[in-house]
Amino acid sequence: MQGVVIPISMVPGDSIIHRINPLPKLAWAFGVLVISFATRNPLILSTLFVVGVILILVAQVGNAYLKVAMILFPISLTLIVLQSIAPAFPKPWTPIVSVGPFTIFQEGIYSGISMLLRIFAMTTWAMLMIMTSHPSDIFTSLQKIGMPYVLNFILTMTLQLLPILQNEFAVVLNAQKSRAMKGSGFGAILPSMVPVFVGAIERVQQLSISLESRAFGSSGHKTSYRRVRMTFWDILLIVLGIVFTAGMTYWIIVDKSLDWSETMVFHPAFAIGLVVFATLGFLAFVVIALRNVLQA
Amino acid sequence: MEPIIKVEDLTHIYPTGQVVAVKDISLEINPGEIVGVIGQNGSGKTTLVKHFIGLLKPTSGKVIVNGKDTAPLRVQQIAANVGYVYQNPNHQLFARTVREELAFGPRNLDLPEDEVNARVEQAVEFFHLEELLELHPYRISFPLRKLVGMASIYTMRPAVFILDEPTTGQDNITTQTVYRLIKKLRDEGSTVLCVAHDMILLAEVVDRMLVLRDGDLIMDATPREVFSNYEIMSSTHLTPPQITTLSLRLREKYDAFDNVALSIDEMVSEVQKFSNK
Ligand SMILES: Nc1ncnc2c1ncn2[C@@H]1O[C@H](COP(=O)(O)OP(=O)(O)OP(=O)(O)O)[C@@H](O)[C@H]1O
Ligand SMILES: [Mg+2]
Repeated sequence: MQGVVIPISMVPGDSIIHRINPLPKLAWAFGVLVISFATRNPLILSTLFVVGVILILVAQVGNAYLKVAMILFPISLTLIVLQSIAPAFPKPWTPIVSVGPFTIFQEGIYSGISMLLRIFAMTTWAMLMIMTSHPSDIFTSLQKIGMPYVLNFILTMTLQLLPILQNEFAVVLNAQKSRAMKGSGFGAILPSMVPVFVGAIERVQQLSISLESRAFGSSGHKTSYRRVRMTFWDILLIVLGIVFTAGMTYWIIVDKSLDWSETMVFHPAFAIGLVVFATLGFLAFVVIALRNVLQA
Repeated sequence: MEPIIKVEDLTHIYPTGQVVAVKDISLEINPGEIVGVIGQNGSGKTTLVKHFIGLLKPTSGKVIVNGKDTAPLRVQQIAANVGYVYQNPNHQLFARTVREELAFGPRNLDLPEDEVNARVEQAVEFFHLEELLELHPYRISFPLRKLVGMASIYTMRPAVFILDEPTTGQDNITTQTVYRLIKKLRDEGSTVLCVAHDMILLAEVVDRMLVLRDGDLIMDATPREVFSNYEIMSSTHLTPPQITTLSLRLREKYDAFDNVALSIDEMVSEVQKFSNK
């Protein structure tokens, strides 16, 4: 009955980071996102990642983070494989080594590594924000700075849809098993997807009825049960976040020496090793994931 | 006779909560027995019976169904012998039409198509589902959905038929259908477990009752014994059928009433015996 639950939600706690207002956390997570997209420099990206991990440890949400990372890491490994043979770089590409029909390119390895780091820098900070803030606090704060209520609500509901679908899937699968559903594998799983989505749509319809019956569309100022306070330190953190992001972005644009795609040269053995590792890592993940789903 | 269900020191703790939903329960159920399971909301009735089809696995202890330990078995394997009608029909129904819903189980049992159709027809007749056959299960009312849930298990003819609160929230006609169902299953020799708050139903149809309180099995006896046990009844906040309470009171007052009456018919015959004296 226990499905594979991906815990992208708040982990209750009382760390310093939990106590910070969601807005500064949001500002920093957004800042890291901007910086990560602005640069491919592995040192900057890995520094952001490491600092993010340290803060995750300070917030004591390491376990939940690890679960997400264990799913994210193998999936991101595909980037290394794909990039190494088809880099997201302007041609011409510099070949490092050829294995059969495939050629691994210098730009590809560089780009693969930096994309992996970029994903990890961004998600680590995003997870830090999500796992240490109460969801309704995040949305109350967003509303305070002018995000429309309906848009806000759509966001919240979308975030909640994932666990609803997961749950619905488990329910339908159990119902079918209770009636001696035959076989295992995708043949057995696929037919249950239809009722899962039908069920989810039913649920959404019910939701919209119950929303309207509680005057969801009415105009006027909405109040919130939970109050979010903003202290001097929170404001300082936001300002620091903005200054840091702007400063970093400026530095990245101005200082061309941060582009290491030419200077960081990879040994052919390293390149092959990395690509093989990435392929195997991803395949292992697929096999394990399939086994888990099929045994469910 | 080999028991069809054997439970040894079963304890179940849900992974989310710290609540011990079922505590150290041992019991045996023989083939053909009609057993009621009663207890307050949250006493562990659903948790207990879900073990019999493998939807839940023991945290500790053993559940043996048809001579096999359920721990390594998959629900699909047990489901050929054990049918479970969910308390909430929304958790049970998934097909696009009622007809598909009824045919899903027997098809999985590898029955020939004309046998599947024959069983669907029988179920439709028995549960009066003629009007609903082509409708989506979500489009029909909750009580009817519950009947469809029962019918979808009925077409599988399981040796053990588990009903989780079949009459809760049902009108008189659907309740009568549940009575007919249990009596028919009894005549066919099936084993029936019926979780219910409906004491009148249980008084009439079951041979034996399991009483749960906070996850403990506190009594396992005939309905007559359970209803006569004032302490058990009051500690679980359950009330016997009014006619049984009346007969208990009368017995206290005039000890000439020999037996506790479970039904109006029994009461009538007791009164006749009394007035003849
Ligand atoms: N999925 C679950 N996760 C955690 N706790 C649960 C779960 N299902 C039930 N429980 C808890 O286990 C206990 C027993 O629940 P159960 O559903 O077995 O009771 P019940 O006797 O069937 O009640 P009802 O009459 O309301 O159907 C309750 O305290 C309930 O809150
Ligand atoms: Mg229940």
